[in-house]
Amino acid sequence: MTIALMLVGMIGLSLLNVPIAIALGFVAMAAIALIQGPTMLPNLALEMFNGASSFPLLAIPLFILSGAIMNASSISRRLIAFASALVGFVRGGLSMVSIGTSVFFAEISGSAVADVAALGTILIPAMKSRGYSKEVAAATMSSAASLAIIIPPSIPMILYAVMAQTSTVKLFVAGIVPGLLGALAMAGAAYYHAVRYDFPAEQRFRLSEVWRTGKEALWAFILPIAILGSIFGGIVTATEGAGMAVLAAIVVGGLIYRDLDFRELKKACVDGGIQTAVVMLLVASSALIGTFLTEAQLPQALGHAMTSLTTNKYLVLLMLNVAFLILGMFLHSAAAIILVIPIVMPLVTSVGIDPIHFGLVVTLNLAIGQQTPPVASVLMTACAIAKSDIWDTTRVNIPYIVALVAVLLLSTYVPVVSLGLVHLFYGG
Amino acid sequence: MTLRTVRRRYEQLLEAIVLILMIALTVLVIAGAAFRYLGSALTWYDETASIGLVWLTYFGSALAALRGAHIGVPGLVNAMPPRLRLLATLFAEAVVLTFFVMLAYYGLQVVIVLQGEHMITLPQVSSQLTQSAIPVGATMFVIAELLRLPDVLRAARSGGFVDTETIEALSHGAPDPAANAGARR
Repeated sequence: MTIALMLVGMIGLSLLNVPIAIALGFVAMAAIALIQGPTMLPNLALEMFNGASSFPLLAIPLFILSGAIMNASSISRRLIAFASALVGFVRGGLSMVSIGTSVFFAEISGSAVADVAALGTILIPAMKSRGYSKEVAAATMSSAASLAIIIPPSIPMILYAVMAQTSTVKLFVAGIVPGLLGALAMAGAAYYHAVRYDFPAEQRFRLSEVWRTGKEALWAFILPIAILGSIFGGIVTATEGAGMAVLAAIVVGGLIYRDLDFRELKKACVDGGIQTAVVMLLVASSALIGTFLTEAQLPQALGHAMTSLTTNKYLVLLMLNVAFLILGMFLHSAAAIILVIPIVMPLVTSVGIDPIHFGLVVTLNLAIGQQTPPVASVLMTACAIAKSDIWDTTRVNIPYIVALVAVLLLSTYVPVVSLGLVHLFYGG
Repeated sequence: MTLRTVRRRYEQLLEAIVLILMIALTVLVIAGAAFRYLGSALTWYDETASIGLVWLTYFGSALAALRGAHIGVPGLVNAMPPRLRLLATLFAEAVVLTFFVMLAYYGLQVVIVLQGEHMITLPQVSSQLTQSAIPVGATMFVIAELLRLPDVLRAARSGGFVDTETIEALSHGAPDPAANAGARR
C-alpha cells in the first residue's frame, strides 16, 4: 500500500513537471517523515551524499569532457574529411559520410546528443546544400549519432554497469560488434534514401585522398583507440581511461593541432559539469527511494510475477524489449536506466540472462528511444539544427529506426553478436 | 543592481565553482592513475575523487537549476490551459523549494553531528568539510531556483516549457532562436 502511494506520488509529481530527481527525493522525504518518524530525517542528507559518491561514475564527467575538448578543436572537421575520402564515392555520399564520421566520433564521445550537436552543425547544412531535404538531413544525422552510445565509450553503459553492478569494461566490449552492424544497417537505409530521392555521390574514390586526410586525422583516430585498448586490456580502469582521454584530447587539440579554442573549452567544462550533476542528482535520489523499494521487496515481487508467467529467457527479453522501447519514447535515457535497472535486475538474473548481454540490449533500446518522439533528445537536437518538423522527420527516419531495431533483435536473440568478443577477450 | 545583474553574477560564481571542480577532478584522476602506474599508489585518491563527485553533483545541480536543466516531463503541463499551467507550475516550484530547504536544514544538522569525524584515508580532513556540500549546495540551489522563478512563471503564462537536453546541446553549435523562445525547464 505504502509503495503504491509512493509510486503514485513520484509519477504524479513528475507529470506536474517537478524534475524527476526532485520528485523522487520529495516522496522519499515524505516517506521517511511519515513511516520512520521525523527524527530520521537527517538520513535524507546522509543518503543524498552517499548516493552521489561513486568512483566508477566519475568516468561520466571525464568522458563528456574529452568529447567536448575534441569538439573545441578541429577534430570533427578532420574526421569528416577522412570519412568523405573513404565513403563519399557511394551514392548518397553525404549520408554515408555522416554515418562513417559518427563511427569514428563514437570512439571519442559517449553521448549521442553531443555528437549530433558537434557533427550536425557541419553536416546537416552540407546535406541541405546538396539537395537533401531538411527532413532527410536531420533524420540521417540523428540516427547516425545514436552510434555514440552503442560504440564505446558510452555514458548510458557506464550508468547501467553501476546500477546493475556489473563490469563497465565488458559492456564496452560488447558494444563494438552491434555498433558496427548498426552502422552497416544504417548505411543500407541511407542507400535506400539515396536511390529513392536520387542523391548524388560526393567525390571519386582516390587512394591519395584517403592517405592525405587519414594522415591529418591520424591523432584524432589513434589516441581514442589506444585509450580504449588500455581500458580493455585492464591496464587502466574505465574512470582512469576517461582521465587519460581528457589528457589526450588536450594534447591533440592544444599541442599537435594547435587549434584548441579555450573559450569554447571553458564553456564545455562547465556544461559537462552541469550534465553530470543532473544525472548524479537523479542517481542520488533514486538510491534514496531505492532503499524503500528494496525493503518492500518490490523488485523480487516483480520478478516472481513475471517468472510465474514464463521462465523462458527469450520471452522475458521480448517483454523487457517492448517495455524499454515504450519507456524510451517518454523518458530520457539516463532517467530510464537509473529508475528501471535496479527494479528489473533480480528478474533478469533469475531467468539466467547475462547482465552484460542485457546491458547491451538496454543500450540499444535507449538508442532507439532517443529517436522516437515525444521525448527524443537526439532527434530534437537534429531537428532544431535542420529547422525541420519533428514528426515529418520521424516519418523519414523510419528506415533508420527499422535498421536499428533489426540490430536490436539480432543482438537480443543471437547473444554471440554482443558476447562473442567479450568471451574472446575475457573467457567465460 | 537589477535582478538580472544579480542573476548573472550568481551564475558566474556557480560556473567558476563547477569549472574548478571539473579541473580538480580531472587532474586528480590522471595523477591517481600515474602514481599507481609508477608503483606508489595514492591511498586517498579514490575517496577524495568520490567526494569531489558529490561536490560537483550539488554545486552543478544549483547551476543546472538556474539554467532550468534538470530532467523533467513537461508534456502534460504544456498541454494545460495557461491558467491551470500557472497553478501547476507554482505547485511544482513549491515542491522543489521545500525539498531543498529541508535538505539544507538536515544537511546542516548532519554537519554539526559530524564534529570530530574525519575522512578515512586523509585523517587531517574533517568530515564536516566534506559533508558541507549538502547544506551549502542545497542553499545555493534554493537561491538559484528563486532567481529563475520570474522566468519560469513567465513561461508558464505564455508558451510553456521546452525540452532541456536539446537546448543544452545546441548552445554549443548553431543556436536556433525559435527553440529558445520558451523558458527551459
